[in-house]
Amino acid sequence: MGTKRRRGGDGGMEENTMAILDTSCFSKSTQHIADDRLSFLEAVRSGFLVSENASAPTNKMYKAIFQILKVENSLDLIMSSYQLLLQLDKRFPQVYLSVAEKSELSSPSSSSPHRNELVVVEEAWSPFSFGPDVSSCEKQDHDKVGGSYDATDFHLLIQDLAKVVDKANTETPDSKPLRNMLLFQYLVNVLEGDFVPRNLAFTESLDWIYVRESLLNMILVSRKIAYKGLIQDCLSAICELSQFSMDCRHDVRSLETGSAEVTGKCDSAFAIALPETVKCTCAAAQKLLLMIIELDSSKKAADMEGRTTRADGLRTPALEIILDELTYDKNILFPFFQALDKPRVKLDMIVQYLLKYIPKTSVRTRRNNGSTNDSTFGGVLKCFSNGNSTKSIVKKISTEVAQLLLAQAFQAYISLPSQDSMEYKEDIAADNSLSEICNNMISAFTCLKKTDE
Amino acid sequence: MEEDPFDFESDALLATSPIVAPNRRRKVIGLDDLLVDHYKEKNRAIERETKLAKKTKKTYNSDDEEDGRVAKLSKYVDECHEKAHILLFFRFMTQLSDEDDVSIWGLQVFGNQKSSPSFVFSDLPSCSLFHSFMGHEVNSLVELSTESGEMFFEGLLTNGWLLKLICKCGEVEKPIATWTFHLMLYSSKEALRSAAVNFWCAILSLKDEDEPRFLKIDWLPSYSDLKGALETYGFLLHSPLEDSSDAEMVLGDSECMGSPQNIVAWIKFVAACSKARNTHFIFSKSEAEELIVVIICLLLDRQLLGLSVDLNECMLSLVNFFTDDEWSSSCAEVAKSVALRFSLSPNVPIISFVCFANVNSEKRKANEWVPFDINSLRAVDCIPAVCGHTKNLRSAIAFQILLGYFDKVEDDEEVIRQLTLINLKDKSCDLFKIYIYLVLTENWFLYNPTIKDRPLLNEMWGLYLRNCSCQINITDTRSYASKVRSKASYLLQGVTDKS
Repeated sequence: MGTKRRRGGDGGMEENTMAILDTSCFSKSTQHIADDRLSFLEAVRSGFLVSENASAPTNKMYKAIFQILKVENSLDLIMSSYQLLLQLDKRFPQVYLSVAEKSELSSPSSSSPHRNELVVVEEAWSPFSFGPDVSSCEKQDHDKVGGSYDATDFHLLIQDLAKVVDKANTETPDSKPLRNMLLFQYLVNVLEGDFVPRNLAFTESLDWIYVRESLLNMILVSRKIAYKGLIQDCLSAICELSQFSMDCRHDVRSLETGSAEVTGKCDSAFAIALPETVKCTCAAAQKLLLMIIELDSSKKAADMEGRTTRADGLRTPALEIILDELTYDKNILFPFFQALDKPRVKLDMIVQYLLKYIPKTSVRTRRNNGSTNDSTFGGVLKCFSNGNSTKSIVKKISTEVAQLLLAQAFQAYISLPSQDSMEYKEDIAADNSLSEICNNMISAFTCLKKTDE
Repeated sequence: MEEDPFDFESDALLATSPIVAPNRRRKVIGLDDLLVDHYKEKNRAIERETKLAKKTKKTYNSDDEEDGRVAKLSKYVDECHEKAHILLFFRFMTQLSDEDDVSIWGLQVFGNQKSSPSFVFSDLPSCSLFHSFMGHEVNSLVELSTESGEMFFEGLLTNGWLLKLICKCGEVEKPIATWTFHLMLYSSKEALRSAAVNFWCAILSLKDEDEPRFLKIDWLPSYSDLKGALETYGFLLHSPLEDSSDAEMVLGDSECMGSPQNIVAWIKFVAACSKARNTHFIFSKSEAEELIVVIICLLLDRQLLGLSVDLNECMLSLVNFFTDDEWSSSCAEVAKSVALRFSLSPNVPIISFVCFANVNSEKRKANEWVPFDINSLRAVDCIPAVCGHTKNLRSAIAFQILLGYFDKVEDDEEVIRQLTLINLKDKSCDLFKIYIYLVLTENWFLYNPTIKDRPLLNEMWGLYLRNCSCQINITDTRSYASKVRSKASYLLQGVTDKS
């Protein structure tokens, strides 16, 4: 793993830029403080993002920007700091893959000529910190100075997301839910920027250490949080947010009349931003879950290669936890699958879900080497062509749920990207052509309808 | 001290400052050295000033208070020197003067919303997609009829099936296109609105690799449809120059005031259209220029702050709609329209947004009085300078607005020469105006890569910055005095670092 030390911006730049924020000597009106903070953000933007060969801002500056996003109430500041952080991360990635240089290519040790080298910027600022356990009073102190997030804070933030919707329905919209949603989106963006190149490096080299050191893995293995609870909370956040987007209650009128009486101007700015922010937050939560699922499968691959150690611990794969949750609470089925837009994962999940309810005589529940086509979408569909097996499935899950799942699976099936479907469709539907799948869909629905009558 | 600003040698203050002799400066705290020197110079001045202030300024009521302030002042001055915090030092000085009134940008871009145009759904059953459903054996399951058609299609749309069907057919029929377009821009239901905008963004961006052939779209909206939607939302076509406090009072009186929820869909749709320029013709180059101006207007409305991510995205798509060759002239056009909008005084007849692209110099000269407006700074600041085109635009707008503030000035050197000629010590000099000049010039220089090859311009800019940071007295009570001073000091640091 290559490392790179980031050249700190020269001290003068840091000192002068940070001085814009310095108000320690005297109290100023909030308007002045806000104005200073805006100038600070603008100074960072013009100082570090404009010139082609600028170095990254120093950690102190990153921290100050993040602090603004964390505590500010003004929409202007929240939006500017959020966008600035995203732009900085895009411009100065902390983990990335670089194509190996020519000299390294010639060395006999590198087996693949196209292997990318993972570069990790050392001592770069991160909104996360997983240092040794800090005592709670120290932590509070730490928080005040604009500390970073540890696993617990991150979990709390996710729990908050699920509450955003209730709040938006009952109270007048204010800055907090919006800020938390943007904060979450930013943190997921950081996790993604860290995990994706690491996971790619892992798939090329099968070196588990790349993924083990990822921020995402460090959150998941943290003893401060209940891993299962995190997955559950993430799932319920997705469902709540997705439900909010689908609901027709949140229309222009209801929002505006609700807020106009109380304070007017600012609230409606929050209200107008809410639907879009909710949608993006839902997508970010989904991204987080999918990354965890990917991490699980990388871990499994590393396990098989014997690359993991006892220290990596054992955990239930996220997919299983999600399937369990969906089994217990049928109300979340619709919002969850409505929100999930990765066709492959969606199809896999639905097939596995339905397999639980398909009578064992007709299909083996565990996928093993000798498994037949029954454990594929085509196979599952066939179970619905037969009146008896359909009846026994519907007894356990309602007709409605069965229809919903089949429809969602079908949509995922036809959405599979073409290159994916080449290899994948072979697997799921060896002898099932698209038209056959369609015909089976029709007969499955006809069968469900008959059973219902 | 009435020196010729061009005469460096005779200016005692500047002659002692390390900036003139940069070799002697330590890089990091160079400006602080300047300050120490500056302070020595000013120390006497402060004493004079405070005595003077006793007679003239209402802030100093009693001798006790004055003594207290002087003691406090020297204490903090020492402290600031130790800390080497130049700006802090300046800040402290602000406390002696009256608190500045910070102007806040913001325009009300939307007024009264009009009722949306009516749309008849009855066209939909005429399309072949509908017929193929009705005729198919599956209809025994779905039980679609002409009456239930709209509900059924809404379901298809919100659940994403409509897009799948269209992809399989390879064609978007006119009734479907107009119906979804109407839902996108006028539906009051969030689910339909967002499904429709996703649908349109998807069909516009479908490319060859997704499907073997291009998607045929039988009906495409035109620029006038987009403009019509803005009018329905109550977009104030005229440049809304009433100051924001008035707007605030108006707001809340009427329930149909305020920003429409559908504006998000509008913004996303415009972005999608600009990205699809190569496959679908929706607006022309000049229309795209006008849309950029509209987006800048929307960025000036605080109500829409929460949408700034989408607005920035849309702006980037719009500026990249142009090829590099087209952009140089289009960028100038946009900059002129924006400058015209923000240098229009309320007394001047309103120029409708339909024709604002035809900027001519007579119109600008007709404006004898140009309001100094914090919004003109926002019009520059709001442009996300993350790609070449937006950097050009940011610089061009800043320059055009600046140009609008000076009479009979046409070229860049003359503009900056005018700036250096301003006597900042003159009590009648409006420092708010100076602040606006300063920020505009900063943007003009920073985002224009060719300026660094113009030594004369850079030299004059440096002079102007030194004027702003040194000529304004630290006890100056004019509003914006401290803002000008600290901004100039900060910029000066950047300028001298580079040299």
